[in-house]
Amino acid sequence: MCKIELKKVTRKRTTKEGNNLKEMEVLKGVDLSVMPEEICTILGPSGSGKSTLLRLINRLEEVSSGSICLDGIDIKELEVLNLRKRVSLVFQVPVMFDGNVEENLLFGLKVRDEKSEKEMMKCLNLVGLDSDFLKRDSQELSIGERQRVSLARTLMHKPEVLLLDEPTSALDPTATLQIEKLIKDLNQELKLTILFVTHNLSQAQRLGHRCVIIIDGEKVEEGDSQIVLQNPDNPLSQKFIRGELVKEEK
Amino acid sequence: MGIKEVLLALILVGVSFGISFLKKLDLEKDLLIGTLRSFVQLIAVGYALELVFDLNNLWLIFLVILIMVLVGGQTAGSRTKGSLKGFTISTFSIGVGTFFTIGGLLLLGVINADPKYVIPLAGMTIGNSTTASALALERMHSEMKNKKDQIEQALSLGVTSSQAVEHSFKATVRAAMIPTLNLMKIVGLVQLPGAMTGMILAGASPLQAVKLQIIVVYMLICAVSIAAVITARLSQSTYFTKYHQLVIS
Repeated sequence: MCKIELKKVTRKRTTKEGNNLKEMEVLKGVDLSVMPEEICTILGPSGSGKSTLLRLINRLEEVSSGSICLDGIDIKELEVLNLRKRVSLVFQVPVMFDGNVEENLLFGLKVRDEKSEKEMMKCLNLVGLDSDFLKRDSQELSIGERQRVSLARTLMHKPEVLLLDEPTSALDPTATLQIEKLIKDLNQELKLTILFVTHNLSQAQRLGHRCVIIIDGEKVEEGDSQIVLQNPDNPLSQKFIRGELVKEEK
Repeated sequence: MGIKEVLLALILVGVSFGISFLKKLDLEKDLLIGTLRSFVQLIAVGYALELVFDLNNLWLIFLVILIMVLVGGQTAGSRTKGSLKGFTISTFSIGVGTFFTIGGLLLLGVINADPKYVIPLAGMTIGNSTTASALALERMHSEMKNKKDQIEQALSLGVTSSQAVEHSFKATVRAAMIPTLNLMKIVGLVQLPGAMTGMILAGASPLQAVKLQIIVVYMLICAVSIAAVITARLSQSTYFTKYHQLVIS
């Protein structure tokens, strides 16, 4: 059974153009199946609806039509706060809450006891940080450190699925490779299902078992990452991969 | 004091008018309308209060306060660009703060159920609560807009909308209470407030005036706290769906 399944998902948004309100489709009838423990990368140019897709799965936004299922159950039938703990979203720019790293890691936990202390150390180690970080002011961390703390904070809730929205876009090449390795390790050690949004083709090749290309809100191609990225079938995918996709053509 | 003295005081408005004209502040029209409005409003209120004081009817007092609360709610609520929600939230917040505070003072026997006491005190309460409610509405909106990422990050971790905006809620209540808290700090040292000044001008001893002013300050901080907390909590809830999704345009 699919871990996550999108069936004809459409998301409409109302935007303001001058004095007029205009309705636009950010996602247009997207079908997508993600298998358990799979790393699925979602590729596409900026503004193609990739981040919206993750927000819909985390239910920060509502689908306009279609449905999203987690383990075969429509997410609308699940309690939303519990869903968000099971399917966690890591943002492109990691946001730290006021306070030190420890307070960030314990954010949102109902019980703070010896068990959660141990869990905190475990999560911190998983993202390659040590206990010295716990008392550091979260606002003084580098972007790379913030992204690690952000991942550890997410792991504290023991998610089954990680939704990663371009988590390396603000990082330097070394930190990017470190985060990529970390994501692969998390996938293998914790058996997490991962949806990774990126517009970096080589990153998708390094990371993903499978990749999906979304252009202008439509899924244009999907398949094995190596095959799709080297020999795309769809003309739009071909242009996107060659870097020739211009706005007018989308 | 007669109408002659009132007209002579208009010279002071003339000074303000002159400054605006010379410095090209373009406030002449606003000054003219403000001067006329304050004159007409205050004269009308003077006559109305004379009538209310003479009739000394508890229901009439209640009605007058209710009208004042509605005007306060409309003024504070207008900060939310004509939204009915802003008006409803502010009216409710100001009303609860005012009736709780004035009712408490009446029940404790601190003041008598006399329109001469109740209406001016309610007026001060409503005025300050209106400011607090307006500030709370504005601050909550800017918190939601400027801290959208932080709030959504918190929501994505599976916390409720109330938990996600706890920091913003506190910041909003603090901001709304600042004018009254500042008043408490400087009262008597920098500023002689209206109630106290009025009593002294009317011939009461400064000590008597001070006692009333102390009651007024305590009353204001209570009403303002209530109005600020209710406005912040109710306005916060308008930014979320029942599925804890942040909706802000």
